[in-house]
Amino acid sequence: MKELRILYLYPDILELYGDFGNIQVLQYRLEQRGIKSTVVPYSIGDTHPDFNDYDLVFAGGGADQEQGILAEDLLKYKDNIKKAIKNGVFFLLICGSYQLFGKYYKGVEGNIIPGLEIFNYYTEALADRKKRCIGNIVINTNLNGKETKIIGFENHGGQTFNIDTPFGNVLFGNGNKFGDKTEGFFLDNVIATYLHGPLLSKNPELTDYIIKHCLDRKYNDDFILEPLNDEFEKKCRKQLLDRFLTN
Amino acid sequence: MKNFLIILIMKIFYFILKICGKKGGNLLGKIAYDWNPNIFSYFKVNCPVIAVTATNGKTMTNNAIAYTLKMAGKKVISNTEGNNMETGILSTILKHCTLSGKIKADFLVFEVDESYVPVIFEEFNLDTLVVLDFFRDQLDRNGEVESLILRINEFLKTYNGNLVLNNDDPNVARLGKANPENNHIYYFSVEKYKYASKNIKEAGEGKFCPFCNSRIEYQYYQYSHIGKFKCPNCSYGENEIYKLATDVNLKNRTFKVDDIPYQIRFNSIYNVYNFVAVISCVSLYNINTKIIQEALAKFVLNNGRLEEVEIKGVSTIINLAKNPTGANVSLRILNEDDEEKELLFVLNDNIADGLDVSWIWDINFDTLNHVSRIITAGTRAYDIAIRIKTSGFDQDKIEPYLNLNEAVKNLYKTNTKKYIIANYTSLQPTRHALGL
Ligand SMILES: [Zn+2]
Repeated sequence: MKELRILYLYPDILELYGDFGNIQVLQYRLEQRGIKSTVVPYSIGDTHPDFNDYDLVFAGGGADQEQGILAEDLLKYKDNIKKAIKNGVFFLLICGSYQLFGKYYKGVEGNIIPGLEIFNYYTEALADRKKRCIGNIVINTNLNGKETKIIGFENHGGQTFNIDTPFGNVLFGNGNKFGDKTEGFFLDNVIATYLHGPLLSKNPELTDYIIKHCLDRKYNDDFILEPLNDEFEKKCRKQLLDRFLTN
Repeated sequence: MKNFLIILIMKIFYFILKICGKKGGNLLGKIAYDWNPNIFSYFKVNCPVIAVTATNGKTMTNNAIAYTLKMAGKKVISNTEGNNMETGILSTILKHCTLSGKIKADFLVFEVDESYVPVIFEEFNLDTLVVLDFFRDQLDRNGEVESLILRINEFLKTYNGNLVLNNDDPNVARLGKANPENNHIYYFSVEKYKYASKNIKEAGEGKFCPFCNSRIEYQYYQYSHIGKFKCPNCSYGENEIYKLATDVNLKNRTFKVDDIPYQIRFNSIYNVYNFVAVISCVSLYNINTKIIQEALAKFVLNNGRLEEVEIKGVSTIINLAKNPTGANVSLRILNEDDEEKELLFVLNDNIADGLDVSWIWDINFDTLNHVSRIITAGTRAYDIAIRIKTSGFDQDKIEPYLNLNEAVKNLYKTNTKKYIIANYTSLQPTRHALGL
């Protein structure tokens, strides 16, 4: 039986906005196809994981206070994480963890939370704490040459700068900054984004892109994934795209 | 404009509204507040003011306090309609004050939206504040839960009135330390009940000690993050309990406080917490125990808060769920019932709901007990259908409808018992579609 191993970072801290749903969607779409999924949680105080032992690493977003506590912990794994990314392990990073993989996060009071500095982008909070990019968002991304619309919900105060390879172009909503044209960060095996929703719940093509990427790498093959009954997802996407994009 | 003039105009306006059969909601307060945002300081209150705040359970607790005090023969003014922002509270006062701003009552009892506590009571002398719980709720509007708690904490630093706190919610119990000079802090708690668990079943908040950042330890969870906790490092959480509910029996809807038995009309652990808060609060005003017993035995809410009705001869239970905790409470009740049933879940994403519906992923839909069919409706009918499907419930037994009337029509095609969960703006349209 084929299997994917998922490392779930700080599930008890980075758990806002239902991001855990991404893991549930991944597991659902794997199980429906008879592929085993093993989810291993890691949080502060657990034994040190080797990121190279996994096919997929997932992390979500958390409350600001708690994010500072774990930034320190995550820095311990910097070299290990760099190596894993180079080895092709897939990283899906949402919101707070997206920011943590950059150079730094500069808070409202000017305080700097150092990032892992794995990528060159950096994030700065807006001076006005109440001003946040909040709302439904639709972006257009390119998955293996196929244009795909991604639907999500953004809720972030941080403005992220210096992105060369965004996750997608914004069709509706803000993106990396207020009124931005681009959203997130995308390399072959890294997707870092502000999109909650949870992200994978309304974007089965993206979920399958990630699954295929992980399977192809692990089994050194070119998988064609068995189609699933996506009736609800299709109807949901049609309803929301009509609503957001036709005004 | 002169305050008495504002009040006069509002009273005439209210009179006209009443003739037209309208209640007015926040409207009176909104107009008055626009004319003079300092109008709160004009009112002369000579009676105790009680306020109830929380993420969940405000209306239930507030109304039960008002109901109990009324039963004790007191004149009570309260915003029992649930208008809990500053304009709603102002509306309630405007309806009941004299032109000179005098309010004649024995008690003012208000449910207050958690983000408005510091605003409203800066000018207004508060006698007792009851805090029930803090969950993720409408994050869109309030920002993170933490900053909300900090704002209330800041307000409490100079507050010397009674503070009634849920000792089983780490987000609430911490408020007892805001003002070390205040010796009117009263903690309530509920003894471990039958379905309490060793591990958390539903997503929660507050995992770290706010005083020393250590990870909080739990002996057990009652529901969500409510349970017996303490900080292993600084013993935060160990407080003397003022009122403790014991012998909780949800099947019979009974519990005891100070060995006195209470019968209630509700059957969830979450309501037991609400009512222990009520008992704690009214006990501070020496209300006779017999009257409290009688009031709690009679108190019901017919507004979609665990409302039990018969529709087309079919037993139906309706509950509001604005957030995961509310929905999980409903599903707990559903799962503790062994009869076969069908579920209708109505989910809207209007502004008042919070535009973000991702909270449905924090609802625990695993292992639903004897649920034969689920119908979804509302502006996000498909989102909730996807959510339920992903939890493992058979996709073929889920029917999503964007149209609410169509959903209700299909729901009552069978005679199976119904459970209905509706979020904030979908609740009244759902009740309406049901003919209520
Ligand atoms: Zn501590």
